[in-house]
Amino acid sequence: MGRPFDFNLLIRGNQLRYRFDQSLARTRSTCHRAGWTAPSFTLLAFLAFIAPAARPQTSSALRTADPTAKPSAKATAGTAKSADAKPVQTGPLVKSYGSASAPIRLDVFTDYQCPSCRSFYQASLRQLISSDYITSGKVYLVHHDFPLQAHMYSGMAARWANAAARVGAFAEVEAALYDNQDAWGASGDIAKYVAAAMPATDFKRVEALVKACDSPAPTSTWDHSNPLAKDPHPCPFDYAVADDIEQGYKVPVQATPTYVITYKGQKLPAGSGIVSWPILKQFFDSLLAQQ
Amino acid sequence: MVELSNVMTSERSNGKKWGRVLLLIGRIALGGVFVVAAYMKMKPQPAMPWSLASIETSLSMFAMGVDSYQLLPPWAVDLVAHWLPPFELVLGLWLLTGLALRLSSLVATVMICGFFTAMFSAYQRGLTISCGCFGPGEQIGPKRLIEEGLMLLPLAFAVSIGAFLLARRAEHSAGPLPPSRSQASLPTP
Repeated sequence: MGRPFDFNLLIRGNQLRYRFDQSLARTRSTCHRAGWTAPSFTLLAFLAFIAPAARPQTSSALRTADPTAKPSAKATAGTAKSADAKPVQTGPLVKSYGSASAPIRLDVFTDYQCPSCRSFYQASLRQLISSDYITSGKVYLVHHDFPLQAHMYSGMAARWANAAARVGAFAEVEAALYDNQDAWGASGDIAKYVAAAMPATDFKRVEALVKACDSPAPTSTWDHSNPLAKDPHPCPFDYAVADDIEQGYKVPVQATPTYVITYKGQKLPAGSGIVSWPILKQFFDSLLAQQ
Repeated sequence: MVELSNVMTSERSNGKKWGRVLLLIGRIALGGVFVVAAYMKMKPQPAMPWSLASIETSLSMFAMGVDSYQLLPPWAVDLVAHWLPPFELVLGLWLLTGLALRLSSLVATVMICGFFTAMFSAYQRGLTISCGCFGPGEQIGPKRLIEEGLMLLPLAFAVSIGAFLLARRAEHSAGPLPPSRSQASLPTP
């Protein structure tokens, strides 16, 4: 038995994919002019399969929001430049609530600095997270980062939340970011509120992970371009954020918050805006009443 | 003189005929819009069969769209979401039948004015939400506002005005009313 082909690597290699897309676009236009369309596509299809396979596997677990992903402390340590150069012990990047086998899946695309996202979280998601729907495995809530370009600190906040997710403190940090949105949105001091949301030892680990990132945080763009396009050395969390953004482009997310409800594997049309808890609950009940 | 009078009469009847045709087209279009809107809101979600439970699910989904306008409390959202689509269906069919057209077109115009106001209010408040007009997925933006404000609203007004004008003309063409008793008792010179 040979090693199974790693589709994740192929699908999630954002940075290389962007470069590849760019070269594809350039080659396509050149080849089109030269009348070499068919041969060039054959060559590019060959490269598409060979190039990702030949790529070194760095921080693959970091690039996934899948709760079943195996911890990859080694990969994190290899990329994170912590002050004392000790590897930071981290777990899988979990940004979801409930059981993945729940009949209803709710994917929410949000921006930590967006006031509507805060209202949606405070009016509905907070109640949902602590409700029977999550604890009894009826609903699976998945958070996706969709930082908007218009918000100065939302990309950075997404980085902090993703770093917190690596130490298992995503829920606390998400709540802290929304509850103190006005304060850190004005000052940019996100660390202060993240620190208050978790024990000091956990915060030190999170801080070490975030401090290793010196490039600008990725954000979504109007032209749906690759979020990591301008960043030659993205921070490990940026792959997870970029993944979420690219998933958002596919929905397509036109505003935040946007939610996609999947019932028994069937995606329902995406909705956007604030929905109050009684109305959301009623919708879940009507879905669960289906035979 | 007789010829001129004949021409005028035939022109008037031609205009009346065209007016009736335009009104018929207008009310079919307006009724059709309401029927389609109701159908899109009530139809079962993908992979769900036609059943009361699936219609209930669709109406609950519409409720989420109504709630995102942030204009009504949850109880009112629930009420609107469950009664509006069936009412739209009834109104659409009513317009298509042409019965009591003045009343049905007036109700349709008032409703469209209400929808336009709600959408404009959401746009003004910077809410980038789904319109919910023809089911989920259609965002409120300049395009949707133009469609509603420059197409649907004028259509509703045109049908209402046309219905009232034709009814008035029909009343006039029915002939002068019989003289009242006071007029009848006046001495003739």
